[in-house]
Amino acid sequence: MEIHEWMINYTRQTEWIDRRGIFLWIAFYAGGLGGGLYLVSLYFNSLWGMFISWLIIAVIKGAAHLIYLGKPLRFWRIVFRPNSSWLARGIIFVLAFVVFAAVQLALSFWLPGTAVEIAFKVLAGMAALAVTVYTGFVLNTVKAVPFWNSTLLPLLFVLCGILGGFGLAVIIGLNGGNVNVAIAETGSRWLLIVNALLIVVYLWAAANRETTGKKSVMEQMRGNLAPVFWVGIVALGIIIPLAIAFSSYFVSEVSSALLVTGVACEVIGGLALRYCVLKAGAYKPLVAIAG
Amino acid sequence: MRWGMAVDLTQCVRCYACVAACRIEHFLPMGMSWPRLVAMETGGDSPTVSTYSVRCNQCQNAPCVEVCPTGATYQREDGIVVIDQDKCVGCRYCIIACPYQNRTFLSKDKDKGFFPGRVETDFEKAGKKLYRHQVGTTEKCNFCVERIDAGLAKGLKPGVDREATPACVNTCPAQALTFGDLDDPNSEISRLIKEKNGFQLHPEYDTDPSVYFIDGKIGYSDEPELRDDSRQEPASAGAER
Repeated sequence: MEIHEWMINYTRQTEWIDRRGIFLWIAFYAGGLGGGLYLVSLYFNSLWGMFISWLIIAVIKGAAHLIYLGKPLRFWRIVFRPNSSWLARGIIFVLAFVVFAAVQLALSFWLPGTAVEIAFKVLAGMAALAVTVYTGFVLNTVKAVPFWNSTLLPLLFVLCGILGGFGLAVIIGLNGGNVNVAIAETGSRWLLIVNALLIVVYLWAAANRETTGKKSVMEQMRGNLAPVFWVGIVALGIIIPLAIAFSSYFVSEVSSALLVTGVACEVIGGLALRYCVLKAGAYKPLVAIAG
Repeated sequence: MRWGMAVDLTQCVRCYACVAACRIEHFLPMGMSWPRLVAMETGGDSPTVSTYSVRCNQCQNAPCVEVCPTGATYQREDGIVVIDQDKCVGCRYCIIACPYQNRTFLSKDKDKGFFPGRVETDFEKAGKKLYRHQVGTTEKCNFCVERIDAGLAKGLKPGVDREATPACVNTCPAQALTFGDLDDPNSEISRLIKEKNGFQLHPEYDTDPSVYFIDGKIGYSDEPELRDDSRQEPASAGAER
């Protein structure tokens, strides 16, 4: 785009998805997945699940955020304005989770069943939920991008994160972790249906919000993002995992390999969902265009 | 006191002088421009071109200030939104939040030098001493706060005295740019906005920009014979088509 052509048409946001922005996409997804897995692991009381969720948030999400920042050594400055910025709040939630969950893991390993352990489970669980939800608020408070400006977005991200958490819990259960695979599968099944419905409602609402919102939706369904949307979100993220889930429910027990394939598809679907949400966010032209 | 700028679109001759003046004033790297001259073509067979000289709108309800997680972006009492480069972490949330997209992240590839790998010009050397830009942070127009502050300290009046007025306003050969105090009903800028129905871009965002556009007729043609017929009023300033 030439400099004089800037913002004369609907302009897609690029900073948070293109080039190094890819790391922010990874960070946002890792937050949802890690937080969701922790909550699911709390339900199953799976120490392995909690530990893996801690690794996802502390290592993958933390590293991705730091790599993305233009001045990573000033990272500490972010936590001092929680009153105004969701990004600041989010990083505080992440730090809180990393600390609380680390203490909880240590307590669960050495002092299981104590009141202190339960207290830290509650604290880490609250922090995990906050980590899962905050990215939705980071985006939906941006009025300039109508596609994101929806109260459904935090809910969508939370459910998507918990769905991914159930998926990873299935794998942990298959590998001897303390997870009831049947319950995890049931959770996955229901969340897949709810997520699919929520995605439809979200897109429908966005398409009816403003012309720019409609452009964003059309970009996903018919534009350059269509392959990611239809293959990543619809086929891999919803249809294949649902088919596997229902075949295990109605037909017979499916093989572990098939379950793992379903979980992998769910994770790819979650990544594709956040990719499309970030990539399709667009701004109005700077000036009104005469008809 | 609230400093503001009015851009008279009927006067703008699209010479890029404002862009050049800003580059010189702030020693801007080649990959970045604080003001932009946006050109827009409308109409099919006989397209007409209209241009907007745009820059940071110094919004009173600035979304960039609200989302900045470090407080690097803040608003001065005179309404100007500035960035403390030493506090900016380069998260780019402000760029995302700006509905006018008038902020730029200074990445390494935008600061390769005027003649990459060849020579560092004296201008660039001077810039590194006088106006340091930090790769990895976000930048934008600051209404030449350095000139305003220095001018006020000398008892000068921004918008009236050149020494206290933004460089782009000083340099505009067509006098399309007017700078002054929006809170002063007797200032030149307030008079212009009132008399010529100055408008702000995208008022629906409630950002209350301090940059106004005057005579916002879209479809102002470069072709003299088309000029009179082709002017079209926007349905409403900043609204969607």
